[in-house]
Amino acid sequence: MSLFAAAEPRLWRENGFVDDDPWMIVEEAQGALPEHAVLPLAGLLARISAGEALPQRLGVRLVADDDVSALAPHLGVVSLVALTFRAFNDGRAFSQASLLRERHGYGGDIRAIGDVLIDQVALMLRCGVTSVLVSHPPTIRRLAEGRIGGIDQRYQPSAAPDAAHGSYSWRRRAVA
Amino acid sequence: MATKKDGAKVLTANRLTDGIAVWLGAGGAWVEHLDGAFIARHAEAGAAPEETAPRAPAHNLVLDIAGVDIEERDGRPYPLRLRERIRAEGPTVRRDLGKQAQDRAAMAA
Amino acid sequence: MYRYDEFDRDFVTGRVDQFRDQVARRLTGELAEDAFKPLRLMNGVYLQLHAYMLRVAIPYGTLSSRQMRRLAYIARVYDKGYGHFTTRQNIQFNWPALIDTPRILEELAQVEMHAIQTSGNCIRNVTADHFAGAAADEVADPRPYAEILRQWSSLHPEFSFLPRKFKIAVTGAERDRAAIQVHDIGLHLKRGQDGSLGFAVHVGGGQGRTPMVAKKIRDFLPEQHLLSYVTAIMRVYNLHGRRDNKYKARIKILVHETGADELARQVEAEWEALRDGELRLPASDIEAIRTYFAPPALPDRAEGWAVLAVQKRDDPAFAAWVNRNVTPHRHPDYACVTISLKPIGGIPGDATDDQMEAVADIAERLAFDEIRVTHEQNLVLPHVALADLKAVYDALVPHDLATANAGLVTDIIACPGLDYCALANARSIPVAQQLSQRFADAARQEEIGELKIKISGCINACGHHHVGHIGILGVEKKGEELYQITLGGSGDETTSIGEIIGPGFGPDTIVDAVETLVDAYLSLRLSRDETFLAAVRRLGLAPFRAALYESAKEAA
Repeated sequence: MSLFAAAEPRLWRENGFVDDDPWMIVEEAQGALPEHAVLPLAGLLARISAGEALPQRLGVRLVADDDVSALAPHLGVVSLVALTFRAFNDGRAFSQASLLRERHGYGGDIRAIGDVLIDQVALMLRCGVTSVLVSHPPTIRRLAEGRIGGIDQRYQPSAAPDAAHGSYSWRRRAVA
Repeated sequence: MATKKDGAKVLTANRLTDGIAVWLGAGGAWVEHLDGAFIARHAEAGAAPEETAPRAPAHNLVLDIAGVDIEERDGRPYPLRLRERIRAEGPTVRRDLGKQAQDRAAMAA
Repeated sequence: MYRYDEFDRDFVTGRVDQFRDQVARRLTGELAEDAFKPLRLMNGVYLQLHAYMLRVAIPYGTLSSRQMRRLAYIARVYDKGYGHFTTRQNIQFNWPALIDTPRILEELAQVEMHAIQTSGNCIRNVTADHFAGAAADEVADPRPYAEILRQWSSLHPEFSFLPRKFKIAVTGAERDRAAIQVHDIGLHLKRGQDGSLGFAVHVGGGQGRTPMVAKKIRDFLPEQHLLSYVTAIMRVYNLHGRRDNKYKARIKILVHETGADELARQVEAEWEALRDGELRLPASDIEAIRTYFAPPALPDRAEGWAVLAVQKRDDPAFAAWVNRNVTPHRHPDYACVTISLKPIGGIPGDATDDQMEAVADIAERLAFDEIRVTHEQNLVLPHVALADLKAVYDALVPHDLATANAGLVTDIIACPGLDYCALANARSIPVAQQLSQRFADAARQEEIGELKIKISGCINACGHHHVGHIGILGVEKKGEELYQITLGGSGDETTSIGEIIGPGFGPDTIVDAVETLVDAYLSLRLSRDETFLAAVRRLGLAPFRAALYESAKEAA
């Protein structure tokens, strides 16, 4: 692993770090959920089908092999979807994020959790991720410096807003 | 053919900057030739070679550290696997390249 | 051929800057190896037995003389004076230092080359017929589509961390010279009933531990849907491909375990949502890319016919080379030339910097400045006037590049094997060299006729042994090298996976074994017109097995 011990996780959005984030990952629990609870997908679906009351501010956490289409009918009740990026090489969450945005029209926060490194943040953002939970100190440092390191020229459309490039139909460029 | 029962090992890795195969030497430095490798013998109280080896120097000079089973022939380490023998010398199809060529050049000098 | 525009140049420069930064962070330790490894692989930097290895992309195997000269320069300055052309139409350098790789990539970027996505679990070099744009039998040039796929797949944010590598090949003729049926996606460019262009789409071919022939999941995909349909396939694979076992992670396993019909249904369902969206290709874009691939203006050179006949008569070695290494062109006054990188006893696919420079010079002077790399590790000059063949030949001879063996028994395909590769279990190159020497006699080679021997040093099958007429797989058994022989494989439009013939052979007997098989073929064939492959398909393995193992019993 890295030479550096993991730091306290920090939450980052494109306009900077957020230090008063209210969201809390909860494992399955009985009874009433607090506001800003983030449930596993199976737990959320179980509560919905049991007709239980849900908090106003509710989040859901997907693991890599969860099927986004199972969540799709219920996107109206969540304002946060946390996607698990595992081990620097499991790319399923990139497709999950893309589908949530492009196929299911989800407009809330998509949060990357798990193994998040600076070299993937630019790609996550292009797939529609809007917040990132980071523990890796060099990544935190780079984000603080605003150095996401993406390339302005894009060879393909993706879930996040891009500017059209004006040449071939598949090309885009970063929004200025 | 000698088997792993002998237990003698050397420690090998690839140098980070250029990927060249190296072995851990008696002085604790990574050396470019197998003959300079520290041999961890089975006799060393059953400890793993990685433990009996002289303490490796600062991190991040090498990657893919692994033990290599060897037997000693004329006091020199002879890897039991063909792969490691090739790694110690260079491509068998280009005898003019790699460590085997350096050895020959050194001998000729 | 394609030329970068400002967008392409800026992208490649940005990519080099990214990688330079990543290397710097790796060297300080800020980036650990497990995080750095997928990043360096996406820039073609492997760690091999003796050193790093850099795999440079040669998109669909096409390059200019200027680019070839730059490859020669890199071999000379940053490596040990040679490179290796691979079975995916790329080039590998075996001795670059990591600290030099950013500078090497800068040098490549100046001539519109890169090493992007030549490794790693991403979409790799899109390969194509090495005679594309020239072959007499071509319906249309497949390379514009390969270029569109190359662009679209570059640093694709959704598909950069696939379960495993992903290889796409495109062909534009009924004869398949791109081995599309052993690729993850194989695209066969053809005309629809209304004359429009489109593709038959094959999915799930591959070699390696579990070789499989691809399944055709769509008969005809109109060209404007190329990107949306491939996106659908990639998304299904990215979400559902296995990630629990590296040896079961290719799309071929997903096709096999899901069933081709069900997988096709999933792809079509995903495609329904994509087909009329922003990935649809406007005809104007396809035309614009196609324009780059317009063949050079080829002046009539009818004098070549008579000139060539005289030259062949006067120089038997030249005649043999023309008969063997020269292929018909769409234009009757021209031909495609195969430059063999398989000199007798040589290392298949290797070329020195001097040889690369020589090829660049010849291409510039006599071949409209275009060079191809084949997936059988040779080079091609696709446009040579018949009248100029002698000049080309005379220029190749002093550089040991005129061996007249294209497609013959000494035109062997071999991976680098245990001499170079950290994944290998056995050496492949010495077997190739010894076989080449055993069959060196030119008359004997002609007598044998077309015979593709393909050698891999491990189960990953980079030597494509599964589709060799004779395939040889090197394994390690009890610490020794052992070679398993397969027969009857083929990578063309009649793709088949070779069948294991029986127990393996050691390094000292493998060459004799192959010779026994060749002799058996010569005694069993119906005529000179029946190739080795045809004879194996007609007879099955039994008589070959008998020849190989029963003669050994008699000798014992």
